[in-house]
Amino acid sequence: MKKNNGKEKKAKLEQKTEHGSVSRRGFLKTGLGLGALATASGLALNLTKKGAHAAQFKPMPKKWDETYDVVVIGSGFAGLSAAIEAKNAGAKVTVIEKMPVHGGNSIINGGDFCAPDTKLQKAAGVKDSPVLMYADMMKAGQYLNHPELARIVANQSRDALEWSESYVGAQFTRLNYHGGHSVKRANQTINASGSELVNKMFAKIKELGVNVQTRTKLVSFITNKDGRIVGIEVLKGYRFPDEKSGKVAYIKAARAVVLTSGGFSRDLALRQVEDPRLTDKFESTNQPGATGEALLAACMAGAMNVQMDWIQLGPWTSPDEKGFGHVPLFCERLVGYGPMIDPKTGKRFFKETGNRKERADAIILLGHPVIILGDSYAVPKQVFPNALQKGIEAGAIKKFNTLEDLAKNYDIPVDAFRQEMARWNSFVEKKKDDDFDCMIFPDAKPTVTGPFYAARLWPKVHHTMGGLVIDKNAQVIGFDFKPVKGLYAAGEVTGGVHGAVRLGGVAMADCIVFGRIAGQNAAKEKAWG
Amino acid sequence: MIQTKCRKSREMAKAKFFIALFVPLFFLAILVSTGLSAPKKVSTAKPGDCAACHESKRVLPPDHPDTKQMGLSACSPCHQKMGESSLRTKMPVSHTHNLAGVTCEKCHGKAQKRQAVEMAKCITCHNPAKLVEKTAKIKPENPHTSPHYGDSLDCNLCHHQHEKSENYCNQCHQFNFNVP
Ligand SMILES: Cc1cc2nc3c(=O)[nH]c(=O)nc-3n(C[C@H](O)[C@H](O)[C@H](O)COP(=O)(O)OP(=O)(O)OC[C@H]3O[C@@H](n4cnc5c(N)ncnc54)[C@H](O)[C@@H]3O)c2cc1C
Repeated sequence: MKKNNGKEKKAKLEQKTEHGSVSRRGFLKTGLGLGALATASGLALNLTKKGAHAAQFKPMPKKWDETYDVVVIGSGFAGLSAAIEAKNAGAKVTVIEKMPVHGGNSIINGGDFCAPDTKLQKAAGVKDSPVLMYADMMKAGQYLNHPELARIVANQSRDALEWSESYVGAQFTRLNYHGGHSVKRANQTINASGSELVNKMFAKIKELGVNVQTRTKLVSFITNKDGRIVGIEVLKGYRFPDEKSGKVAYIKAARAVVLTSGGFSRDLALRQVEDPRLTDKFESTNQPGATGEALLAACMAGAMNVQMDWIQLGPWTSPDEKGFGHVPLFCERLVGYGPMIDPKTGKRFFKETGNRKERADAIILLGHPVIILGDSYAVPKQVFPNALQKGIEAGAIKKFNTLEDLAKNYDIPVDAFRQEMARWNSFVEKKKDDDFDCMIFPDAKPTVTGPFYAARLWPKVHHTMGGLVIDKNAQVIGFDFKPVKGLYAAGEVTGGVHGAVRLGGVAMADCIVFGRIAGQNAAKEKAWG
Repeated sequence: MIQTKCRKSREMAKAKFFIALFVPLFFLAILVSTGLSAPKKVSTAKPGDCAACHESKRVLPPDHPDTKQMGLSACSPCHQKMGESSLRTKMPVSHTHNLAGVTCEKCHGKAQKRQAVEMAKCITCHNPAKLVEKTAKIKPENPHTSPHYGDSLDCNLCHHQHEKSENYCNQCHQFNFNVP
């Protein structure tokens, strides 16, 4: 998955420039940087994005249409926490959001918030600590995480969770486990969705008197002659994804702009620059507005980006339903109980209990969807009935009386498949997988009891680990290694916290911890005029 | 063999030339004609008087009875509320609104330059909580509430008044809703 980015980095570092002239020079050089990147990876990509409204450098407008102390871009976890903190620090704040609805990916997420030493952990008798959480994050991140940032998330996530409960009023009621963590530490919202927290934050900022302007898209950052970010150019009345819609307006940020525009999983052009395998063959679990133009606009204004080609795919999604869907809840409960089969050969091909990245890479290497299956012992025991029911109704999970019927449906060579099933069952009997070292759970039984349930798996783009470089104050760092004055960032638009792999449940921790820091510091900036 | 190939390719080139010439012209023609016949929005028009806005463009099937004097109740003997004959997806909702007596002014007010209507207006007649109840049995999910937005989503994300409605959920889901 990882390709060597040496040349890219070099190209970026060579762009070091005196900050005083970000602006036009920064813009031109970033353009060159992209070109160098395309050459470095041997791509012949058409970098002109159809219909996209490329953000560009803009000079100071003659007149500002609106003025605030702090302007927040994006209305997910990171943006709303920044807005709350900035407002509570006395700033006049607005939040802009390009979509017709608030919440971004945060409002469609699974509501799992990782933090160590929480009430739910104590009630369940789980021993945990910030040190252990940090170690897990670093290991999964292949030690590419920026240690200072990862440590801040591990150290402050419990505080962030308690703030979400006691100040914002969100309820967390269940403790879950996610692969790659040493212990159960995902504190889940009462409705198993990020909406519990987003909507309570949304109510909170309304109560505080902060307005959220939907259908308002950031087009570019505006920099003064000292290289300080002083405001933004937006399109008001923007109708995603119509790039011709909306009217230009200029919003002044007297103190700072906080960029919390999320990841770019649904930005086909940008994600293929970073990882050329991620063509339109790959759907995404994200909301349609998860695109990278705001991140790129920040780069054009002098911000440095990092680790952009670490893009996480979920190996548990189905090509037979849209978006995140129901199959992830079927698949993740069955690994360690039933086998994953390559339908071309009828054989297993990878460790079912491997991590997200290893498994997604293995499927992509095969080049076609694979099958996960379970029998009438494992499925009812493991899979949440509602998920099974909905998956079947959607046609993404199928039920077969015999393994032969199953093989026929997916065009699997029957004899090879029969032999492989016998082999798998022998591993399950002795609780040891000689072929791929799959973890076989103590209560697993051979897959022999009909009817059988199966689903096709094909990875979907889920999370972008890379993004803007920030320091411990959530201040964005420029290509000259100095802070880009007047610009803060938090959440999925930033890079460094997660390194190579973002562990389940740590995005929420990251967004709330750094969103709050960004909001507090943005409000403290000295006004420029 | 070679000759036929040559001839063929020449013919193909000719065909391509014509396609290149005429296809854009054809689309241009469609554009112009649809541009010209885009319906006017005549607020004083009687709701059943199609020609008042659509002019000479035929918008009803040829054997449809004259609708000039009709209101919504006159439609209902033939058009059931649900099913094949339903009007729900046959025309933009502003039409059924108008037929039911909800005139342009009732939503847009009297201002000369009409502004887009806010959801606050819709809910003066359509109570969200009641809608949620009313559609509770729709499969696979209740279209008027969701784990993400509850019942707070703007009506206009799905129910457009002056163009074909859409299924906003289907950006990420696959719900087979019949959106009026
Ligand atoms: C299906 C799903 C399930 C998940 N489950 C979990 C989980 O259980 N636990 C966990 O920790 N993580 C989970 N994640 C990841 C996590 O939800 C995200 O990383 C997180 O929500 C990102 O928050 P954010 O505030 O950075 O961005 P977002 O919530 O995505 O908000 C960014 C906002 O900025 C807006 N925006 C973008 N560009 C512009 C622009 N140019 N102008 C104006 N606005 C703009 C976007 O429209 C969006 O609304 C999940 C993700 C998905 C997709």
